[in-house]
Amino acid sequence: MIQVTGRSRATLLSLVIAALITIPLADGLYRVPIQVSDSLEPIVVAQKADSTLSLLKSSITFSPTTFRPSRYLQARWLLQVADKTGLTYNAVFRGVHVALLLLLVLLFLLAVRVRDWTDLVAFTVAFPVLIGIHTFVAMLLEAFPVNHYAEVGVCALAVFVLAQRPPRWFIPIVVCAVLALALSVIESGAMVWVTAICCAAAGMPGIKRSTVVATTVMFAAYLVLRYALGIVSPGIGAHGSGFGATFYSAEEVAQRFDAHPAAFMLYNVTGGLASLLFAEPRNGVYSLLVAWRAREIHPVVLINILSSLATTALLAWYAVTRLGTKRSAWSEADRAFGASAAVFLINALLTAVYIKDEIISVGGLFYAMCTFIAMRPLIESLPRRSAAVAFLITFFLAADAGLWTFRVAGVHYQLRYDAFKIRNDWVEVLREDKQDDWPHDRRELALTRRLRGEALERRTTSPSFMPRWGDRYWVE
Amino acid sequence: MGGVIHRLIIATPCAALALLGAWWSVGLPTGGGLWPPDDVTLAEAVATRNNAEALRLIQRGADPNRASPVREGLLTNGYDVIVLPVEAAVAAQRADSVRMLLANGASVDDRELRVLRCLERARRDSGVREILDARAPGEPDCNDLRLPTDRTR
Repeated sequence: MIQVTGRSRATLLSLVIAALITIPLADGLYRVPIQVSDSLEPIVVAQKADSTLSLLKSSITFSPTTFRPSRYLQARWLLQVADKTGLTYNAVFRGVHVALLLLLVLLFLLAVRVRDWTDLVAFTVAFPVLIGIHTFVAMLLEAFPVNHYAEVGVCALAVFVLAQRPPRWFIPIVVCAVLALALSVIESGAMVWVTAICCAAAGMPGIKRSTVVATTVMFAAYLVLRYALGIVSPGIGAHGSGFGATFYSAEEVAQRFDAHPAAFMLYNVTGGLASLLFAEPRNGVYSLLVAWRAREIHPVVLINILSSLATTALLAWYAVTRLGTKRSAWSEADRAFGASAAVFLINALLTAVYIKDEIISVGGLFYAMCTFIAMRPLIESLPRRSAAVAFLITFFLAADAGLWTFRVAGVHYQLRYDAFKIRNDWVEVLREDKQDDWPHDRRELALTRRLRGEALERRTTSPSFMPRWGDRYWVE
Repeated sequence: MGGVIHRLIIATPCAALALLGAWWSVGLPTGGGLWPPDDVTLAEAVATRNNAEALRLIQRGADPNRASPVREGLLTNGYDVIVLPVEAAVAAQRADSVRMLLANGASVDDRELRVLRCLERARRDSGVREILDARAPGEPDCNDLRLPTDRTR
């Protein structure tokens, strides 16, 4: 009875903590206007299409390297929702963005399942890791105009949550549905299939052979469809990417690395994994090298590296002490840890051609999941340890939690900065002194004008009114 | 008991953030919260690189040819100034702001052009100079000219 009370209080408190941290974050996210880059063009395309079907057909031919039909369909549906409800476009598109954030937090809560006070303490470290990791803020800042990386994150976490539950007849259907959704918005949707496979391989109860077979058939069909449509994967030089201390444009990447693609890909995959584990490099660029060259290191680099290093050490401790035994001897937590670790390790492979924080954003979610699982036994062991050791571990965990919490505060700063920048981008659209550049199509002009007007009415703060030290401590 | 204290210490940073989150959330309905939108004059919007806010204010009727106060710390240290928006743009070394203001109703006569060009000589910016010099080539005479950002008393 006491246990039940304790469990419910700890669970309730975890919900309260998550809500209190997420609400201001959701507000910051909602204030960011619809972007000009990556968003205006698909919105215009979505609106101009004669019908949903014609949009679907034509969207397949938009790019030789991407297959993202839902990108345009979702934009069209949201435009229709705005028109039917009388809401502003910004309210609808940014509302979806906020809903995805809330879903991510909710699914993380469901995945960690805080039951007692030990869980709650582990949660107070893991939750800041979830929000504070650089891949999370990168995911929040992305929009095409719907945030596809967040959609993939939601789908992958949903699969993980289902995998934790007892097997049910509907699980293969649901997992296939979320895989189809994820694959139709962005190529990183493959991480949903990876998640299902990793959960099954780790022996999590909810994913059985039927789910593995169904999702694998679906993923194979997706690849065949891409091939049939003549859609190829982007090669080296299709995107800019960092190497060492320098970020190179797409052309520069092609020039420098086309002759040695394997070495460049190995660098990228290693970098993608290192980015998740040690917060370095960022987009392929090692800030430590930049700092060494400039003879000046910004505190943000140290904060990010130290917090990630400490957490990764914790994960390594757990993996070494718990996963050495046969899989059949693994506990429920060990299986969840094994699956989560495998997901973020495999996620790094997706960075082979170029590194971008968003690409490894699913890995970031599972890194936080691993943190929760690894924290629990360490906290539980504290009363059994000597006073000195218990103090040292407590100090280590509290310092790590403090650094991650500071990184979460930086997410607010970056969201405000982004809102300011994007709102100012709209000033350059439909410039009074460049009316010749305005769209000639009346509907397109009206839509652009409305989006611009809404963005300008979305008041933000200027970085001039935010702490001057914010850049050095929060922006890398 | 020792275990409880250890746990409390570990949870403290996150709990502190949650309390701050509660504080920020309480302020949201009244337009407060963490770093709420600025309440600025047109010149201040320009001085803080906030072209979007400047444009919004102009669209709402603010006169781009009327001087307005700019609080200390934005263009000047230790004292407020009252400047034209275009003077704020030049002082803030923002060519994009100068261009935006000129495209949205700001007018610059010969006397004001001299002020702006001298202000640019004091706060150099190649983009701003290019715009201003296109209107009057050659070096401006800045002798005995008081700049709008100078302390008045």
